[in-house]
Amino acid sequence: MSVVKITFVERSGAEKVVEDAEIGDNMMQVATANGIDGILGECGGGCACGTCHIYIDPEWHSVVGTADDVEDMTLDMVSETRKPTSRLCCQITVSDNMDGLRVIVAPEAL
Amino acid sequence: MNSSEGHSTASGCPFSSGNMTLSDMSLTDPLIQARPQEFYSKLRNEDPVHYDEKLGMWLVSRYDDIVTLLRNPQTFSDKKGYEAQYASGFFEEFKQILEKEGGGFFPDVIKSDPPEHTRIRKLLDSAFSAHRVKTLEPAITRIIVGLVEQLADKAAAGKVIDGVKEFSIPLTIAVICEQLGMNQYDGDKISEWSAAITAQIGRMQNREQMVENANKICELQNFIIGQMKDREANPKEDMISDLVHAHTEDGGKLTFGEAVSLVRALIIAGNETTATAISNLLFILATQPAVAAQLYDNVEDERYLTRFIEELLRYAPPVRGLAKMTTRETELGGTKLPKGAHMLVLYGSGNDDERRFECPRSFDASRGNVGNHVAFGVGIHRCIGASLARMEIRVAAKELIKRVRNIQLAIPVDQVTYLPTVATHSIASLPITLMRR
Repeated sequence: MSVVKITFVERSGAEKVVEDAEIGDNMMQVATANGIDGILGECGGGCACGTCHIYIDPEWHSVVGTADDVEDMTLDMVSETRKPTSRLCCQITVSDNMDGLRVIVAPEAL
Repeated sequence: MNSSEGHSTASGCPFSSGNMTLSDMSLTDPLIQARPQEFYSKLRNEDPVHYDEKLGMWLVSRYDDIVTLLRNPQTFSDKKGYEAQYASGFFEEFKQILEKEGGGFFPDVIKSDPPEHTRIRKLLDSAFSAHRVKTLEPAITRIIVGLVEQLADKAAAGKVIDGVKEFSIPLTIAVICEQLGMNQYDGDKISEWSAAITAQIGRMQNREQMVENANKICELQNFIIGQMKDREANPKEDMISDLVHAHTEDGGKLTFGEAVSLVRALIIAGNETTATAISNLLFILATQPAVAAQLYDNVEDERYLTRFIEELLRYAPPVRGLAKMTTRETELGGTKLPKGAHMLVLYGSGNDDERRFECPRSFDASRGNVGNHVAFGVGIHRCIGASLARMEIRVAAKELIKRVRNIQLAIPVDQVTYLPTVATHSIASLPITLMRR
């Protein structure tokens, strides 16, 4: 298997399924390449801008993993919309055990 | 600038009232440049996309319009806006001086539009990631501790210190020079060169100043070219070597001129703006005792510090206004714009927009949307050095708080001077006194 299926739930509630997310690719880049609304990745994956904020369903937590301290600090900058399940998808590498993963694009902070 | 200044509205937000009309005002006025909040407020409330006749530019002042514009780089060209701003009024003569004495005229390759911009930007992204910057923390701390100690020694001897020239500017220059692998450098020269470059987008230089600045930029470029030649022959573990030997994603190499322009951008962009942010930190510590007390009490709390720094950037963004140009007839914030409209995006005003930030003139690190400021810009040109800037401000705040106390202005607050420019809002000189802790 070199690709997995990932579902992104956009802010409108629309579900976009990416059938062919390449293992080893950066999840933010997968999202922007597939035009997922609300994932901007403006800092280019540098964990600096918080514009690729997603929520991971709790049952996927152990697969996707936890934010490290640098990501944790950047998530603090989007604290208004931060949840325990928050991640920045530029810090996630697509792996073979992510087939079927469903992530929710976080709302824009007001 | 103190939150206790001015009157209060029914909601308790401080504001200051003015009696001039917009048509009497221009961002070219150094008094407005120095204390712009009232002007920004008028713009936002009366004419959010306003044509400033004297400047010859459309001022974009509301947060939402700023974000809309910045997320549409095809309609609002960074390249065209920047070119029209650069050495405005004297461009041909400026260019000739650089071609004759400065090794060439090298346009800023990062100030471009997609797809060209994408190619260059990708090359630089990894060098400035938050994770890479984290690895620099010990080196940055060493530099900053040295400078804070010097500051404390001078203060103990009863001297008035210039927070800008004796702390903020040497600090950011030392950090970027270390990154670029320049062990030996003349900090005063680099500071002069930076001012000469930023003056090219400041719109406030006359011809004589342009010639003087162009000559300084020639010196800068000759210095950079010397550094690059050295790295070509003797590659090192530094960013100049990385750029000299870099390959873009398509397998191509940067041209010599592109590489010169990028090294130049890194030296300049990495120092003046961050220095201004650190000067603003000193200014706020000296003029807002309640904010200072809160920082002293919470400086060990990393989460608090993160929020404090974001609020500092929102409250006092170093970059005031950068240029864009419309590539077609369009509309922004209800205003029709012709093709070729020269726009100035007022980040300073966006951060002050009461539609977005409640009581914007109150420094409040606990505001819920503290990270939503536009101090680093938005969209594809979002500041690449944001993580480095944050780290420098963070370490400066920590080490200052640890080592000194009672930072006071040595002049009345209304005598603090600012650089004459539309591009940034930079304190020119900040005389302060302080005590060792």
